[in-house]
Amino acid sequence: MTLASSASPTGPATAPSVRQPTSQWSQGPAVPVVSVLVALLLGAIFVLISGHNPIQAYAALLFGAFGSPYDITETLVIAVPLTLAGLSVAVAFRTGLFNIGAQGQLFVGALAAGWTGAQFPDLPGVVLLPLTLVSGVLGGAAYGAIAGWLKATRGVNEVITTIMQNYIVVFVMHWLLQDGPMSAPNALGTPASSPIGAGAILPIIIPNSLVPLSRLHAGVLLAVIAVVVFWFLLWRTSLGYELRAVGLGARAAAQAGIDPRRRMIMVMGIAGGFAGLAGMIQVSGLFHRVYDGFSSGFGFDAIAVALLGKNSPIGITLAALLFAAFQRGGTIMQSNAGISSHLIEIVEAIVLFVIAAETIVRAIASRRGTPAEALA
Amino acid sequence: MKRLFALAFITVLVATSCGALGIGGSSIKVGLVTDIGGLNDKSFNALANQGRLDAASQLGVTTSVIESKKQEDYVPNLTTFAQQNYDLVIAVGFLMTNATWTVAKQFPSVKFAIIDGAPANAKGDTENLPNVANLFFKEQEAGYLVGVIAATMAKNKVGKATHNTVCSMGGIPIPPVDRFIAGYQDAVKTVSPSTTILNGYSNDFVDQAKGNAVGVNHIGKGCDILFQVAGGSGLGYIAAAKQAGVYAIGVDADQKDAAPGTVITSALKRVNKAVFDTAKAVKDGKYKDGDNFFSATNDGIGYGSLDPVVPADAKAAADQALADIKSGKIKPKDTVQVKG
Repeated sequence: MTLASSASPTGPATAPSVRQPTSQWSQGPAVPVVSVLVALLLGAIFVLISGHNPIQAYAALLFGAFGSPYDITETLVIAVPLTLAGLSVAVAFRTGLFNIGAQGQLFVGALAAGWTGAQFPDLPGVVLLPLTLVSGVLGGAAYGAIAGWLKATRGVNEVITTIMQNYIVVFVMHWLLQDGPMSAPNALGTPASSPIGAGAILPIIIPNSLVPLSRLHAGVLLAVIAVVVFWFLLWRTSLGYELRAVGLGARAAAQAGIDPRRRMIMVMGIAGGFAGLAGMIQVSGLFHRVYDGFSSGFGFDAIAVALLGKNSPIGITLAALLFAAFQRGGTIMQSNAGISSHLIEIVEAIVLFVIAAETIVRAIASRRGTPAEALA
Repeated sequence: MKRLFALAFITVLVATSCGALGIGGSSIKVGLVTDIGGLNDKSFNALANQGRLDAASQLGVTTSVIESKKQEDYVPNLTTFAQQNYDLVIAVGFLMTNATWTVAKQFPSVKFAIIDGAPANAKGDTENLPNVANLFFKEQEAGYLVGVIAATMAKNKVGKATHNTVCSMGGIPIPPVDRFIAGYQDAVKTVSPSTTILNGYSNDFVDQAKGNAVGVNHIGKGCDILFQVAGGSGLGYIAAAKQAGVYAIGVDADQKDAAPGTVITSALKRVNKAVFDTAKAVKDGKYKDGDNFFSATNDGIGYGSLDPVVPADAKAAADQALADIKSGKIKPKDTVQVKG
């Protein structure tokens, strides 16, 4: 509870000059906290129906996510890609675009990073790691920018193009890793690329003597930097101001001399860059090679993370931590309390549902001319 | 004040959960980590889980299971149990040899067991560890038993087995798969030397379509008894036999229910027994590291329920072979003779 109550949205508070019609919605952590609580309560009903004790279930969940130092590091390992993919979705949201393509952009970033890391295995880390990072970010950015370009020049809905892009990259990935140019022999049954060079690996930042076999890698620091970059870009640069202006009203922004089309391409590139970084970190920090279909699902959970975090840097970070705790804890809940980890998916779905319902209510209310504050 | 309450609440939750989950209790804790086949594979992992459940109900030990969704989950899943101070952590399957080595080396006070393999170090070389039990099966003995049944039926042209040709299909040619096939072929050559033997691989343990394609090919060459050693892919091989109205033989678990009337018997590999026995050994303080074998002698292998079409003399021959294997009179070969 303390976790969510500190979720103060940085956004509107630091941008008083741009009055947002949605500003009430993003004020205060009340809505996310309530929606999570409602979801947990409704989830408890499902636990009861399945014949288990909800308190025991949630205790096991909590224990699994934070019960030991190892569990905490594993939760953080999951939170890293969720945060970055969440930033990807959120930056597009802020510009009025709906990026469903974070998953595909993550894959492209991973493939680009995996290719670079494996192609020059003998380069020293000071060269190879930045090179791998840049490949991942640029790969994701280029892939994201395609959707932005189609939207800007042809008016194609980015929801549709990004969904289709997800499919394209999934099958290209199959081909590349199964019998295409990136496939490596003897990956023990799972199609995979060759391992990346030692210089491309993000080091583990927790000493083995402290938490044995922890997988917490330096990617967590990159994620923190990315959150700061996200905040700085949107609220401390003129580009960020323009992006948000386009998000609030493309026509008004155009009247003010901002070219919304260019901004659309740019923001989809930036969104792709965040997701591509997530993919690069999964490869460099965790797997050290690209597995076919690895880390799937993060791009979609990211939409929920961005919504729950209200597209604000702190909100996204907290929401990503919450979802990571759900995922990590859900596994342990299944193993220790015998409750299906699918329960967590139900809880996540209800969180989304409650948030969506809240926006619908507000939309109806504002159409009736009721001050939105009345509902707050 | 509010925060204090929240904190107190969480503390109570954790405390009660520890009590409820038996953390700090006196009974031993056994954790099972499946491979990517998952708990519903109706074979290998499902059997291992059955052994876990039997241990929980009959030995009064506390047990848990984690399903591995991806290959890269093996190390974290094994670590999750080890760092919770489980007494025994069981890795299900040959694919986890490297992960088991990594985790067992890190947690020397936790006992491990790995089914179908031995710990393998980073270079891929086998290295036995004092806290890892390697649970091996003499699959060739189970293969031999069903081979005796197949050969007897082929020789006497029983029912739809009219072409005096028997076949087998493995998933990937790894040792535990090939030992089944080796024993099967050895029995056929011994019991009925005139019978034609064919063999193939689906190169997959999941894809049913690949197993089906091999089955159709084998049936086209006159096979009317088909033995599968290919997990989920083998179900496609059985389906091909069912489609053509010929006979199939299941593997690992009793697979009679996969296609009643088609599956005449199964080569049983009692993974459940290996899990149960190892848990019991840990509980009784009789855990043995290094190689442990499960064979006909300790009921680790056997043959499954017989379809009514299997004649009495075939069953008698299989029972005789079982007795001879136990007494050491028969030693089934463990290398595949007919590769193609």
